[in-house]
Amino acid sequence: MSEETGQGEQAVELRGVVKEYRRDEFSVLALNNVDLDIPRNDFLALMGPSGSGKSTMLHLIAGIDRPTSGRLTVLGDDIGGMGEKELAAWRSENIGYIFQTFNLIPVLTALENVELPLLLTRLSKKQRLENAKTALDIVGLSDRLDHYPRQLSGGQEQRVAIARAIVTDPAIILADEPTGDLDAASAKEALNALALLNEQHGKTIVIVTHDPHAARYARKTRYLEKGDLLPEGQLPEDWFATTAPT
Amino acid sequence: MLRFVPLTFKNLLRNRRRTILTVASITMSLLLVGVLLSVYAAFYFRGGTEEEALRLIVRHRVSLAMELPQYYENRIRDVDGVETLTKFSWFGGKYKDNRPEEFFARFGVDPEQVFKVLSEVSIPEDQYQAWLRDRQGIAIGSSVVNRTGLKLGDRFTLVGDIYPIDLDVVVRAIFEGPEDNNSFFHWKYFEESLPENRRGEVGTFYIRVRSPDDVPRVAQAIDDMFRNSPQPTKTETERAFQLSFVSQMGNVKLFLLSIAGAVVFTILLVSGNTVAMSVRERIQEIGVLKTLGFTSSTVLSMIIGEAVLIAFVGGVLGTALTYLVTGLATEMLVGFFEGLIMPWWGVFFCLGVALLIGLISSIVPAIIAARTRVTDALRHAG
Ligand SMILES: Nc1ncnc2c1ncn2[C@@H]1O[C@H](COP(=O)(O)OP(=O)(O)OP(=O)(O)O)[C@@H](O)[C@H]1O
Ligand SMILES: [Mg+2]
Repeated sequence: MSEETGQGEQAVELRGVVKEYRRDEFSVLALNNVDLDIPRNDFLALMGPSGSGKSTMLHLIAGIDRPTSGRLTVLGDDIGGMGEKELAAWRSENIGYIFQTFNLIPVLTALENVELPLLLTRLSKKQRLENAKTALDIVGLSDRLDHYPRQLSGGQEQRVAIARAIVTDPAIILADEPTGDLDAASAKEALNALALLNEQHGKTIVIVTHDPHAARYARKTRYLEKGDLLPEGQLPEDWFATTAPT
Repeated sequence: MLRFVPLTFKNLLRNRRRTILTVASITMSLLLVGVLLSVYAAFYFRGGTEEEALRLIVRHRVSLAMELPQYYENRIRDVDGVETLTKFSWFGGKYKDNRPEEFFARFGVDPEQVFKVLSEVSIPEDQYQAWLRDRQGIAIGSSVVNRTGLKLGDRFTLVGDIYPIDLDVVVRAIFEGPEDNNSFFHWKYFEESLPENRRGEVGTFYIRVRSPDDVPRVAQAIDDMFRNSPQPTKTETERAFQLSFVSQMGNVKLFLLSIAGAVVFTILLVSGNTVAMSVRERIQEIGVLKTLGFTSSTVLSMIIGEAVLIAFVGGVLGTALTYLVTGLATEMLVGFFEGLIMPWWGVFFCLGVALLIGLISSIVPAIIAARTRVTDALRHAG
């Protein structure tokens, strides 16, 4: 779908992106005129106080929400102009999304959870299972195929979720606080899996995190504050005062 | 679409108790609908046999309680197309202590004609002759034998209630056939037992016509013949005659349909609520599916598919139970309901109703789920 892009092309381009939530009387400016380029094969960490617009930004890049104004080009596609159906198909092909709470389907096994996104492709059952196994292999869970989510540890669950995010071989992986619900050891497992995907599989990765340890896995960290994307290298005021000491 | 079926199944197993309860309530309500439908069909749709199609019944135009003059018999016999006829007078009366399980109908008939008119009945020739010869003889159906234990040669008294007389009778014949909850004695014997002033009247005449094509014309001719007499007649097919009993019970059709309608409506609300509940619980998961690239219409059809599947299972079970129950009822209620069996189209009707219940109960929750924005769905944590 996305045309072949040369060196230096951006995976994600935000130009003057505004997102305003309107509820009755009041409105919230979740993103205020954001410009951002994320090169291909980058690993970016987004940080910032609660309510600063991090999740909103991820939603817009993933195409599960639309900007109020501004231009949003992802992998060369102007996703602001796509219809719901087209966008869903685009998402299934190009975006892998990882949630803080894993969000696995409890009635499906690890293998079936990972197979889920492939139901939307033309692959045969056999190919689907093969690809799902490969994805689980990449995150180191080949021995947990038939386990249900409740039979897995938090770290394993999140790795299943990562496998689900990469099974369609999307170019971009977005993760919203992927280690937020994990202990330190499990967080490390998950982050290592993401780093591997970035380094060996060439995935462009954006993670939102509160955890400075997690941010260290990224090549670059950008900060949001009250809907503003701060210039590179700049931190919100009182940032160290409000975050837990490392 | 087929590839989503396993997921649909697994979603149903998510809350087994709820699924089972929903299936059970749809099963029970479809059982009720199925039984009502069978009753309805037994009343209104039972196709008559070929023999039945040849029978006409003549009665007083005003009421079954009023009788016709005996001399009508000869005038009716002369109508072109009439092959034979018999008097058929309801005696009522009491047998022993009137226990309902021992109830059987008693008619005064013309023994020479009655089995020509009720041609499906089979009766051993020697017993028939014995009954013919004995003016106090009574012929009883096999179902009467089963329930009362009467046998050939037994004597008993029918105590009159409509008529001021008692009839002593002897069982001379046992017959089998569709009318086997009846008993027949000689109309002449009955007539002669009556006081002078009550003689010369007949309850109904049962006619056999030559061919089914003659039926409307013969009925018309008879009713025209007596139109202006003090006792006008109403001549109708056996089927229509039976239905007139039904309509004495009020507007049965409306009654049955409104009960069935209320049942279906209630179950719609119940299962609609269940679907809404399960969608609400899963709204975050629906947000996840959409994030993975599932379209609104896929989500919509998955939810509707689940509800339809549940309803269909309930429908199949309900229909199967209907067969069981109507079968049992037919065995127990011999006589009144000759065949309380769900008609073939009832199966399609019930399954159709089940599918509609699934569809209608889920359409609103499904649309709401499909329309929920992904970000809103994802925010519903837990
Ligand atoms: N669907 C919505 N409707 C209304 N307001 C919203 C909605 N989603 C987000 N907001 C508001 O937009 C602002 C940014 O929210 P967002 O979820 O992007 O913050 P965040 O940086 O991800 O915060 P956190 O670290 O707590 O997850 C907040 O003020 C939030 O209340
Ligand atoms: Mg957030």
